[in-house]
Amino acid sequence: MLSPLQTRRSLGLLAMAVVLPTLTRAATAQVDTSRATAFIQIAGDEMAAAINQPGLGAALRQDRVANILKRIVDIDGVGRFVLGRFWRVATPAEQQDYLRLFEASLIRNLAGRFGEFQGVRFSLGRTQSRTEDDALVSTVVQRPGQAAFNLDWRVGEIGGQPRIVDLIAEGTSLRLTQRSEYASVVQRGGGQVSALLAAMRQQAGR
Amino acid sequence: MRPMLALLAVALLTGCATPPPAGDSEAVAEFRANNDPLEPFNRRMFAVHQVVDRNVLRPATVAYRILPDPVRNSVRNVLNNLRTPVVLLNDMLQGQSVRGGDTLGRFVINSTLGLGGLFDVAENYFGVPVHYEDFGQTLATFGLGEGPFLFIPLLGPSNVRDLAGFGVDAAAQPLTWVGQGLAVNLLSGTRGLAAALDTRDYYFNTIDEVNRTSLDPYATLRSGYRQSRAAAIANRDATGSRSLP
Repeated sequence: MLSPLQTRRSLGLLAMAVVLPTLTRAATAQVDTSRATAFIQIAGDEMAAAINQPGLGAALRQDRVANILKRIVDIDGVGRFVLGRFWRVATPAEQQDYLRLFEASLIRNLAGRFGEFQGVRFSLGRTQSRTEDDALVSTVVQRPGQAAFNLDWRVGEIGGQPRIVDLIAEGTSLRLTQRSEYASVVQRGGGQVSALLAAMRQQAGR
Repeated sequence: MRPMLALLAVALLTGCATPPPAGDSEAVAEFRANNDPLEPFNRRMFAVHQVVDRNVLRPATVAYRILPDPVRNSVRNVLNNLRTPVVLLNDMLQGQSVRGGDTLGRFVINSTLGLGGLFDVAENYFGVPVHYEDFGQTLATFGLGEGPFLFIPLLGPSNVRDLAGFGVDAAAQPLTWVGQGLAVNLLSGTRGLAAALDTRDYYFNTIDEVNRTSLDPYATLRSGYRQSRAAAIANRDATGSRSLP
């Protein structure tokens, strides 16, 4: 049996144990998980509506998806993350060039990929806050006659607005994979960012 | 095992990647994250694989994809059903009794109600979807590290641990050892061919996408493989990564 004093002390400890993590979490969390979830829910519905709209040609469909993506993805932030340590090596002109090429390639690739998801439905999974800055919203992508797969959306708070900072398909992060790809291109180009820009320009021209 | 050792010996003889100078901590971190000390050798193997894929695997898969979806789905269902012993063994070795129960239950239901595995009744009517497990994942749950990254022509991205696991899974597949004679050889050859076509078909759009959009498909596959394996080992993905045996 605990004495009244001990009971009070342990109650106090318990209260602290409950309150403290909440306080610290509130202090560090930049994006509210319910806000992130609502954001993804709206974005997912909007994307599905554009992809599944009947009578829309492939080009028009991709245009619509591209416009949505430009609004909901933190393109500059993802671009900087992907260039990683080479961002600091790049000259201001190269940085500008890079961000322009990166936006074009990211939007083209994502719009192309999502545009093919005919009959798609994003259903929300559980949401977890993963790091100090981001919330991770998990969805399951279902398409008729195709195996369902997990797609997690990493949402950050950019300029007071929730924005997508990464997409993680079946455990594979888009920005991590692309960072590895770009780093490899720079390295094989003698450590020059210009080598990457040349490769990006060549691809954009194709 | 022996071909793998021979392969490793060749890899060591044909040169290793030069690690970055120890002072450049970011470059060193990247070198470690890539886990690819045999990169020059692996890139040569990747080049071989791309030639074979472009000229044989992809065209064969394009022809296979002429078959309607329900037919290809049934081929996939039968192959999944035949994989049961390997998946079940690995479920059990990993102490995953619930997943092991799923695997066994699926086998019983699909072999009977699913007419010998042609139809995935377990998923469509009982809501128990397929999942994969392999000995590479089992070794990982035992705490064994992956070893250097490897790119094996025809098999694709791997590492020392997963390649060894592949050998163990092939040995654990009872069909590897059943009977002999022309009929058995024909059937197991058919199963191997179907498994190869089905796997390439499964990754068809992904591989096309990587080849079309990546500035360095090798680096993309290397990074993607490591990440997706980590997710499969933690059972964080929908099905677990696929393997052939």
